[in-house]
Amino acid sequence: MGTTAEYNASAGRVVIDEHRGHPGIKATTLDYGQINDEMLAMLDKPNPSYYLLLLGFLMALGLGVLSFAVQVDVGIGFSGISHPIAWGFYITNFVFWIGIGHAGTLISAVFYLTRAPWRTAIYRSAEAMTVFAVFTAGLFPLVHIGRPWLAFWLIPYPNERMLWVNFKSPLLWDVFAVTTYMSVSIMFFLLGLIPDLAILRDEAARRGKKLKALIYAPMALAWRGTNHQWVHYMRGYLIFAACATPLVFSVHSIVSWDFAMSSVPGWHTTIFAPYFVAGAIFSGLSMVLTVLIPIRAVFGLQDYITNHVIQSVAKMIIFTSIIVGYAYATEFFIGYYSGSPFERAIFYYRPFGEMQSWTLLGDNQISFPQIAFWLMVFCNVIAPIPLWRWKIRNNPLAVWIIAALVNVGMWFERFNIIGSSLQHEYDPASWGEYWPTIVETGVTIGSFGFFFTLFTLFAKSLPPMAIMELKEGANPPLKHAEKKDTNE
Amino acid sequence: MSKFTGVWAIFEYLDETTETIEQIRKQGVQPTVITPCPKHEIDHALGEPTSLVPWIALAFGALGCFIGYSLPAWTASDWVLPVSGKPIVAIPPFTIIGFELTILFTTIFTLLGLFLLGFIDSLRFPIPKGAKKYRRFQRDRFGVVVRCDETKLEEFESIMKKNGAEEVHVEKE
Repeated sequence: MGTTAEYNASAGRVVIDEHRGHPGIKATTLDYGQINDEMLAMLDKPNPSYYLLLLGFLMALGLGVLSFAVQVDVGIGFSGISHPIAWGFYITNFVFWIGIGHAGTLISAVFYLTRAPWRTAIYRSAEAMTVFAVFTAGLFPLVHIGRPWLAFWLIPYPNERMLWVNFKSPLLWDVFAVTTYMSVSIMFFLLGLIPDLAILRDEAARRGKKLKALIYAPMALAWRGTNHQWVHYMRGYLIFAACATPLVFSVHSIVSWDFAMSSVPGWHTTIFAPYFVAGAIFSGLSMVLTVLIPIRAVFGLQDYITNHVIQSVAKMIIFTSIIVGYAYATEFFIGYYSGSPFERAIFYYRPFGEMQSWTLLGDNQISFPQIAFWLMVFCNVIAPIPLWRWKIRNNPLAVWIIAALVNVGMWFERFNIIGSSLQHEYDPASWGEYWPTIVETGVTIGSFGFFFTLFTLFAKSLPPMAIMELKEGANPPLKHAEKKDTNE
Repeated sequence: MSKFTGVWAIFEYLDETTETIEQIRKQGVQPTVITPCPKHEIDHALGEPTSLVPWIALAFGALGCFIGYSLPAWTASDWVLPVSGKPIVAIPPFTIIGFELTILFTTIFTLLGLFLLGFIDSLRFPIPKGAKKYRRFQRDRFGVVVRCDETKLEEFESIMKKNGAEEVHVEKE
């Protein structure tokens, strides 16, 4: 008998490392060949509705490109960002998209280290989302600076006067954090893909599809699945997971310090790092569900992305929602408790607008930050409450609606933090009002188009689930177990 | 492609594969095993092989950390630009750069390291062309490859056949 396979007389079968089973995932009942077939079937020629969807996303992307082109042509003044509100929609989008990426790393790295078996079915898609979200986020500093062709000034190199970049500035920390995060996410994603690309290569060759085999061959990097390759691969994968885990917590902490290191009321607070990280994971997990629940329905993946998987993500959403809600309350308490009139003023301004009136009604106009604030509270704190009920968590449609609301809420949270504080700094003479212009709205819509275009292309060109890991979780083919079954 | 003399076989079942590996190892030969996914059972049978990847990661992570602190420290000293009364060489803000570059260097060199080690191992433990062309190792079959001299070919062939190999290939030259 094999080394770890033991015959269990009471169970009447051979039991192998039972901790590795994936309860509720169909893959455990399939053999290795069937897993290959089912996963490869997802990459078959798409139906017309796929192209229609792709066209829709491409149109949104086109709108974004056009808006950006207009802004470059006319100048950054064509956007709504101007003194005193220098950070508007673009930085909101940057922070939002970086946050979306966090769920992928959390699922692929943190849940890998903690051995959460339900991650197998969703981690590849979540990781792809991370890469695409960070790509999307990475565009926004370029869009925001107005003259993107001078973006290389951010890179540490000495200019003609031998002047270096300022390493004490949080904006430069951000450059290092985001580029590191992007590089690590891409490498981690590609590393996970290598064995699956070898599967695609060999299956294409086995099925006589020579062109496909030729395309996949260089991408698979001569992967053969030998024990020598696996031992280096698995050690490397573990190191990647171990590095990505602190990285995912550091990135949004560093993004939050862009704000917290300044002395602007509403920004200058020590809770920003954990508050931003919790918000990032909250929004990222919601985006995972927003995207994967429709994909599960379209591809018929109910046996892989089971209700158990959706419930597990929903529980994480409840958890992070509580942290985010607690952070909102803390901000207000500290605003009051600090005794600082500026802090108190900004935390009155966010929900209620100008201080001249105690009512939302009457002559007092509702400003954009007020809309942002109440949407944020509703979507992020109140909307996830129904998830506490098992019945709601077990209903994919209800979970999808809540996840979509959380995405909206988290976008407005980012705007609420960024926009409202800049509108009401210390001196009332420098207060201002921010409303986005058409180019900013266009670029924002374009960013969603960019993200979803990339994801739609990914879903049909690379296996959206890690075939190798599904096999690892499935019951291995055993001669002895078969004999026993036949006898029974 | 180096010339290959030895035996390679295809197995359908994991337990038969592990049994074969153990019997081959008893003969003092370390086989190369091809699997569709990593299995702990195979690692146990092979005697828990180790990898140099973590040492590469550690070495280059340390280098990244060193560069992460020294680059800002050197640039800040190269052109002294006091910022709001902070020290010129300020450790807390440079820790962020140090941390990021530690992670960046560790991951980049882990990736390069595992590629390089995989490449070196493919030269040290070559697998025959026939095994490379066999398409079901990435699907649902296990492969066991033994390099040996011609006198031992029959012995390994019989071990593989006895343990239920689907196909056994003997290669000379």
